Parts: sequence; C-alpha cells; structure tokens
Amino acid sequence: MKSPLRLERRLTQPKKLNWLVPLISIAAALALGAIVLLLTGKNPLSAYHRILETAFTSKSSFSGTLVSATPLAFTGLCAALTFRAGIINIGGEGQFFMGAVGATLAGLALSGQPTAIIILSMVVMGALFGGLYAVIAGVLKAKFNTNEIITTLMLNYLAGIFLNYLIFGSTSYWRDPQSMGFPTGKQLQPRAFWPSLHIVGFTVPLGFLLATILGMLLWFLYARTRFGYEVNVIADAPSAARYAGMRTRWKIISVMAIAGAVAGFGGASDVGDFRHVLDAKGLQLAGYGYTGIVVAALARYNPVSAVTVAILMGGLTNAGYALQGPNFPSGLVGTLQGLILFTAVAGEVLTRYRIRTQKSGALSEVAA
Amino acid sequence: MSEKIAVRMSGIVKRFPGVIANDGVNFDAREGEVHALLGENGAGKSTLSNILTGLYRPDNGEIELNGESISFSSPRAALNAGIGMVHQHFRLVNSFTVAENVVLGDESTGTFLNAGDVAQKVEELSQRYNLAVDPRARVWQLSVGEQQRVEILKVLYRGARILILDEPTAVLTPQEADALFITLRAMVKEGRTVIFISHKLDEVMAVSDRVTVLRGGRTVGTIETAHSSRRELARLMVGREVVFDRVERKINSSDKETVLRVNAVSALDDRGNKALNDVSLTIKTGEVLGVAGVSGNGQRELAEVIAGMRHASAGTISVNEKEIPNGKVRHAISAGIAHVPEDRLHTGLASSHSIEDNLILKSYRTQPISRYSVLRRKAIQENASQLVEQYDVKTPSTETPVRLLSGGNVQKVLLAREFSANPKVLIAASPTRGLDVGAIENVRSHIVAAADNGVGVLLISEDLEELLSLSDRIVVLYEGRIVGDLPTSSATRESLGLLMGGVALEEHTS
Amino acid sequence: MNSNLFMVIAASAIFYGTPLFFAALGELLTERSGVLNLGVEGMMLIGGVTGAWASQHIGGTSWFVVLMSILIGTSAAALVGLLHAFLAITLRVNQTVAGLAITIFAGGLGLSSYFASVWNVAQRPATHPIRFLDVGGLADTPILGPIFFHQNILTYFSWIAVVVASIYLFRTRVGLQLRAVGESPQTADAMGINVVKYRYIHTVIGGALAGVGGVYYSLAIIPTWVDGMTKGAGWIAIALVIFGFWRPDLTLAGAYLFGALQSLSLTLKARNMHINGDLLDALPFIMTIVVLVLLSGGWAKKRLGAPASLGVPYEREER
Repeated sequence: MKSPLRLERRLTQPKKLNWLVPLISIAAALALGAIVLLLTGKNPLSAYHRILETAFTSKSSFSGTLVSATPLAFTGLCAALTFRAGIINIGGEGQFFMGAVGATLAGLALSGQPTAIIILSMVVMGALFGGLYAVIAGVLKAKFNTNEIITTLMLNYLAGIFLNYLIFGSTSYWRDPQSMGFPTGKQLQPRAFWPSLHIVGFTVPLGFLLATILGMLLWFLYARTRFGYEVNVIADAPSAARYAGMRTRWKIISVMAIAGAVAGFGGASDVGDFRHVLDAKGLQLAGYGYTGIVVAALARYNPVSAVTVAILMGGLTNAGYALQGPNFPSGLVGTLQGLILFTAVAGEVLTRYRIRTQKSGALSEVAA
Repeated sequence: MSEKIAVRMSGIVKRFPGVIANDGVNFDAREGEVHALLGENGAGKSTLSNILTGLYRPDNGEIELNGESISFSSPRAALNAGIGMVHQHFRLVNSFTVAENVVLGDESTGTFLNAGDVAQKVEELSQRYNLAVDPRARVWQLSVGEQQRVEILKVLYRGARILILDEPTAVLTPQEADALFITLRAMVKEGRTVIFISHKLDEVMAVSDRVTVLRGGRTVGTIETAHSSRRELARLMVGREVVFDRVERKINSSDKETVLRVNAVSALDDRGNKALNDVSLTIKTGEVLGVAGVSGNGQRELAEVIAGMRHASAGTISVNEKEIPNGKVRHAISAGIAHVPEDRLHTGLASSHSIEDNLILKSYRTQPISRYSVLRRKAIQENASQLVEQYDVKTPSTETPVRLLSGGNVQKVLLAREFSANPKVLIAASPTRGLDVGAIENVRSHIVAAADNGVGVLLISEDLEELLSLSDRIVVLYEGRIVGDLPTSSATRESLGLLMGGVALEEHTS
Repeated sequence: MNSNLFMVIAASAIFYGTPLFFAALGELLTERSGVLNLGVEGMMLIGGVTGAWASQHIGGTSWFVVLMSILIGTSAAALVGLLHAFLAITLRVNQTVAGLAITIFAGGLGLSSYFASVWNVAQRPATHPIRFLDVGGLADTPILGPIFFHQNILTYFSWIAVVVASIYLFRTRVGLQLRAVGESPQTADAMGINVVKYRYIHTVIGGALAGVGGVYYSLAIIPTWVDGMTKGAGWIAIALVIFGFWRPDLTLAGAYLFGALQSLSLTLKARNMHINGDLLDALPFIMTIVVLVLLSGGWAKKRLGAPASLGVPYEREER
C-alpha cells in the first residue's frame, strides 16, 4: 500500500516559520472549531466573540485571564524545559501538586512571620517538593532507562492520591480540624497571601510576574550557558555528546529537578496567589499540568514564548469558566485547546518536512 | 558443479548521488558452485548483491534467472523467485524464537501457526546443512554464529536456490567459519548456488570454485579459484603497482620521542564481541602511522578506545609516556588527543547546530569561550570567524548549520576544531572518504602540516594510495589484530593487500 | 472475611474491571504494533457519550437499542483512534503529545462534554441500560454463580475477547506479523510486511475497544451521563497494559485486580470496615511503577518487556 503523498525532510528551516506556524495553527484550530460548532447548530462567530470579550477585551477580563494564565505559565515552562531536552515529562501535574503541598506547609508553619519571609519560604518549599518529586522519575530514567512517560504519569496519580490523603483521608497538618462535615484544608492567614501588582490598570498576580522573570532566566539558561549548551547537544546529537564526553545521566536528573522545581513554584503560586488553601479537589480537576504541555508545544518549547502562550490558553480557560451556563456550550474550551494542540503539532511537522507527491516510476513486476 | 548458468547479470549500472557504484558490471554464477565476489570497500559488491536481491533497481543492465530476463520490485519478490540474502547485519526479531523468525513473512502457512510443523522443518534443514540451532530458542539467547544460522535457515526455508552471503565470517570464530563452509558445500552439492562476498583471501581460496573481482565499480576478472593464487587475487583487488607520489615531509621523525603508546589493548564492540585483540602500536612525534585494513576489522573501536569513547578491557594508552585513564573522553582530550571520526556529521558534529556552536564542542568549558558557566557569544563568534577564515571554510555565515555544508567544508570545520586545540596526537579516521579532489588535497595537506609541526598522527584509512603517500609507517588491522608493521618504503600494494586479506607476511609467496 | 463479603467483592471486581479490560485490550493491541496511544481516556468518553445519545434516540426493542448503542459508541471512538493514527503514523508527530491532545480534545472538559450539552444527553438516564443477565441455571450454582454468571453481556463478551485476542496474537500468522511490527519494524518491512497498515488498523481497533469501555460506563455502571465519568479509567488502562506484560490473559486478571481495588474501599466502608482508601487507590500505580522498573533491567526486558519499537515513528530508508 503505497501512499501518493510523501513527507520529505526539509534542508533549511526558514526563520519566519517560527512565528508563522503557531499563527496558522491557531487560525486552523479556530476554523476547525467553527466547523464543529456549525455542525451542531451553534454560531461560531458569536461564541468566539463572547470568548474574546470575556477573556481579553477589557481590563478586568484581562486581569481574570492573567489569573488563569499564571499556573499555566509555570507548567508550560516545566514542560518546555524537559521536552526541549528530549525528555518527555508529563509529570508537571504531580510536581505542581507537590509544590502546593510544600508551600502550604511553609505558609501555615510560618504564619507569624513577615509576608516577605513567608512568600520566600513558600517558593523555596514549593520548588523543593516539586523538584524532588520530579527527580524520582529522572533517576529512574537515568539509572534504569525506565520510560519517563509512564513513570511521570503514574507519579501524577500518586500525587493526587497523596492530596486526597492529606485532606480527606487523615487528620494531617494540612487539614482543617474544624471541618468535620466536609473536610477542607487549613486556610492560610492573610499575611501569607501573595500581593497583586497594579501595572497600568491591570491587576497582575505576583506569581505571573515571577513566572515571566523565570521564563527569561530559563531562556538564558538554555541559550547562553554551558548547561544549556550541553542540554542542546545531548538532545539534538546524542552521538556527538558522547564523542565530546558529556555526562548525559546527570543532565537528565538536573533537567528534571529544575523542571519539577518550576512546576512546584507554580503550585506555591496557586496557594499563595489564589486559593490560599490546599485545595485537593480543585487542583485535581484543574488539569494545569496537562494544559501546560499544550502551552509548551504551541510555544515550540521556548521558555519566553511559553509565558505568552499561557496568556492565550489562560484566556480560553477563563472564558470557559465565566461563560459556563445554559447559554454557552460546555466543553468548548477543552475542544478548542485540543484542536490548537493538534494543529500545533501538525504544523510542527510541516516545518521539518515538505509534502511531496510520489512520481510514478516504471515498476515492472516480478516473474516468479 | 554443472555448466548451467543459474543467474547472469550483464552491464549493470547503478548510480547514487556523487558516485557510480556499479559501472557496467558483468557477473554470472553457475548451478552447484560457490562463487566468491571479492573486492575492497566501495568496490561495488554490496550494491551488486542488493540489486540481485531486489533492494535496489539498476539504472541499466539486465538480470537473467535460469535464462529468463527478470526484474524484481522488492526483496520479497526476489525471495519468491528463489534468491535469498544473508546480510552482514541480521534482520531478526530478538524476542522471537528461531522458528518464529524463520516463518515470519511466509504467506503460505495459512491462518494459524503450526509451531510443531515449523520446528520440525527447521530441525530437518538444520540437520541437512549442519546448521545446529534450537528452533525453540529465542534469538537474544543465541550467539552471533547461531544467529547467522537462523538467517541462513530463513532463506532455505523459503526454498532459495541462490544464496548470497555478505561477509559471513566477519562475526564468526574460526571454528564457526569452518562449520559454515561445510554448510555451503552441502548446499551446492544439491545444485544450489552460493555467492560469497568477502575480502578475505584465504577463505576465498578455500571455499570458492570461481572468483569475480570487483574494483572501482567494475569487474576486473573472473577466475577459476583452482588456477589462481592469493597473490593474483590481491593484485586484482587493489590494482597494479603504480608509481605514487610520496608526500614531501619536512621532518624525519625516526629519532624523535614516542608521543602515543598503545600497549596490549583489547576491547569489545557494541555487540559484545572482541573487536581488538592485544593491539600494540607506538607513534613518534611528527610521525604519521597509517592503519590499513578493510572496514570492520576493529578500526572504529581502535579510534574510540584511544579517544576515550570506549572502555578497553585490557591494556593501556599513554601520551608522552604518561598513562591516561581508560575510557574517559575528557581526560583524553586534556591529554592532547584530537579525533576526527569516520562519521563526521553524527559523531564528530551536532549536525543541526551552527558552525560556531560546533567549533566549541570541546572547548566550551574553558576560557575565553565561557566564564562562570556563561557562554560568551562574542568569543564564540570571534573564534568561529577566525577559524573559518584560517581553514577557508566556504559558508554564508558562521551561524549556518553544519549539515548544509558540502562534505569538504564539513571536514574543514572538524579539522579546524581539532587542530585549534593544539593536540599532541591526532586520530584521523577515513578523513577523505566521500570528498572531491580539491577537498582531498586540502585535508591531506593539513594532516601533513600538523605532522610537520610535531603532531603524532594515526591515519586510519581504506585508501591504500593515501596511506602509502602520507604515512611514515603502516600497520595492518585484521580481525582486531595488528598483522603487519612496516616502514612505508618497504610496503607494496600487493603485500598490503595480502595482509588486509589475512595472509601473514611469511606466507606471501603463494 | 465471610464468604458473602468475598462474593460481593469478587463480583464487583469483575463488574468494575470489565471496562478497564476492554480499554486495556485495545491499548495492548495498539502498543503491540508499536504505537503509543495516550488518548484512551478521551476515546472512552467519546464512546460513552455517543453510546448514551444513541440509547436515547434509537427506537426498538431493548436488545436492538443496546446493540446499536454499543456499535455507535464503538464506531465513534474508532474514528478518534483513526485521528490518532493519522497524527502518529502518517505525520509522525510525537505520539505522547498527540495522545494528550486527544485526551484534552475529547475528554471531560472537551468534545465529549460539548456533545453532552449540545445533545442534552445528561438530562435523563438511558432508556435501555445494559442490565445484568443471568446465564440460565449457572447463576444459581453456589459461590461461582453470583460471581461469574450474574454479569452483563459485555462482561461475557470480554471473556470471549480475551480468548480470541490470545489466539490471535500468539497462534496466528497475522498475529506473529503484528508482533514483528511492534518489535522490529525494519525487520518486518524487510520481510515484506506492511508496517503502516498494521499500525493503522490496530490503532483504530484500540480506539474502538476503548469505546466499548466507555459505553460500559455510560450504559452499564451508571446509566446516566456525567461529564468525565470515566474518572481516569483510561489512564489506568494504560498502566494495566504494562502491568499485564502486554498479554491479554494477564491484562484480564489485572483488570479484575484493579476493579477490586476500586470497589473495595466503598464496599468495606459500607460494612463499617475501614482500610485506608487512599492506600488502595495508590496500589495500582505503585505496582505499575515497580513493574516498569523491573522491566527496564536486562533480565526482564528481554523476556517480558514492551514491544521494542513502542512510541518510535517508523521511517523507512530511501531506496
């Protein structure tokens, strides 16, 4: 069965593809989404208009978008770091959860301290918990060559169960002893709330600002340091890495540690900026880690772009929440996000390959 | 052996980008004969056999099978026509049993597998042809020799009348090789035809009825083995004595100090077989030591062991009589060993990265390229500009990815990087393979200049002319051993050809 | 533990384990061809929601409606499988990302939820749910009867499926070729086997079987649609494939084990026996990691491991 179309490797990658492909991807996704909407009797233009309105067009809506974008920025960075290094880490979800656990611990234990100290400790503990959790999968891959896709996936589930255990399944430090009826976590004191900044009329959560700075630092790490140089060579040319004597196994563990720390940082922001409590149920329903992978893929694994793309995805998510109700079909947000991911990866393929039609050669048959 | 022609190939032409692999080759094999196909690497043997087994389509020429003109659209078609190939790199599913591998792809067995039937038939074939192997064993449990028997059984099971074996003894012990020859003799006794691709003269003399020698894509002779000699075959294989130009050397290294000492080194290849066996050699300051041999006799492993990429199971490597730690690349680099590997674009370079990034592949941890772990772009660019100019690398910019460069320029980048580290030892593996004439001259002149500057050069090459013209001394690697160590002035193409084919120096009279 | 409790747990294990088995069997076949499909959860949900829709809109006898619902749900999920096949095999996209994209696209916050709201599926329970079906007199036999013969038709079908699948994989010529494609596509290709065809077909089958699992949720377990009602069963199925060493029989056993764990904490709580539910929840995942690490080592890898080319797109060298 010979297909008439063939994919042929491109020799050069025109620079303009870097921004053209994501743009075309989004456009294609919106077009496909419009088809789905039309086929089920809904009006795509009005749906898109409402999304745009709710997510982006006013200062308050944009601030809401930044709220949704913050966790995605962190998990997007986490995924971008590892995918760029050739490691398929889908454990951002679990690493985020563990970061939230660590940060809540700091936030509750240090409630008497000044806010700055609390925030610093929450970040440190969040990053620590997330990083260590990621290192588990990293070590398994480096030492035993265990497939990181499955291990990080399983660890996500275990982290979720751990959250359930802390809040619902035990009387842990994180659980509010007063809430016997329906168990909830202990609330953080107002002193532990992270401040928002007001920049030109927009309300920017501290976490988002920190994520932006982090994105730039991580870009610098990968593009301009020895560490980043080695990661790039190991990912793109493993034989050359061996030839040059690079130490691959340590790199895998290091990259996982950093990525996990970033996701854990996100967990800290979730607790400090928004929920102010360890919300086991809410965290597991949110799916930040998996959406972060969508963000990273669309951003072509570039840390700085990831933060920008997080705003786009955050806008969709924000619109999804705000518009929930009988007048707006639920599930549209997930559908659009999925479509964007499809078109993004399909577009990625087109940057590496060209489509060629098979020239029919003169095929003679065998006389056997 | 009958006179009946089983298969005839006439005027076969096959071109690949940049090279004519088969240039009007004529070849025929008779029923009941073992016909050897002899030649160096690049002579065209593999291409010819790939055409015969349906993997490639010839650009020109005809194939006749039992007198009828024929053409194959796929390997399966060739196999159905009765032509089967046993490749050098086995096509086996490691986790399957022998029986499962043998029956894979056979459409005639019906829906259900009858494991018992298959095992029985495999046993029968095993007995008949001296190919002892347990049909129920899993392939990963078998030795390399046993795995080869599975490959042979695969084609026999499908009823192949013509078998092509590509360098079959490369992976066998002498005992296994002898057992294989018994198998081949048993097969041709029944009227089958065996085509035996090899570069080993002893074996060709021992097992074949006729030999066809290919050189440079052409047939240079087809002889009855009984009427020939190793000497004649060697001469045909490598070409007549020609007067070659020895390169002018500025220094005479014979009274200089030893810069590289390889002492009793043994090493395994990637499959776990012994690739290097008690290898010792020395290189003096400014000396070019050529390593001759057909590819696959341990050259790659030798280069990798000296460069620190491969662990030596025995022996030591010393630079200026100071031993360097075994199997550690960074130590080898800092001891002053430079390495231009055979596989330029995948091992020596990160092909999708820019020239400037590749030029710092070994120096990125040192000043001025990096400071406090941060890479200094300006230093990297300056380094690249300077080297690109110095080595005359033709490129639109230093940011161009290296895979876009021509072969000659790729090699220039490699040389630029390796030489700029002021090495004491340079390992150059097949440095001019695949390059055009101008690039070849360029690379050779760099190597000679380095040697004149005191670098000890280990030149591994399949090109005898190159070795004879550039080296001070030549050693020959055969099956992981050094089988000859001569000053170039007393080396001839013929004697080198014999050594490369496995014939020891003392026996060079027959 | 008295025998009554044992029988309840055993029967529940089979009941809850069946959809896990179907999804895992589908994933098993897909992975045997060398393709990794992480979109199982999404495919299950699509199967579930379309099956539920069918059950509410098709008229006829109970049997007919149930059959059609299963068929429609399965077909819808198979289409999603086709999408994954196209992305992973033809476009050679990173298979992990493609699978995740499908789960996001079709999952609890995506297309399945969208269809549910647009078609108003959740407003009432299925008119013709898949009910229990006693097998004649066998259901009355002591102990074994209530456990094995008081199940529904999909469970009975799953037993046939495990036998058929095992024979297919290990005793037929086509099954051998499939396994060769998953272990060494280069070798299979060299032997004239069409790698692309095998991968496409088995990825679509994988989607279809995931759809069966999804329909089980929406028509047998709780015959009312709830967004995201599979609650991660698709992910468990992926773990189950590893846990079952890519063999149908072990996968069935593992599915029942996981099913037992799922229902155990609820069952025990109802009888005022407390075992830490979270530990039970965690066990399947911990066990899978352990199995996976063991499989990475040399000994087990060769004997029991994953198809060697799993997740790696196949590019044939140019002639």
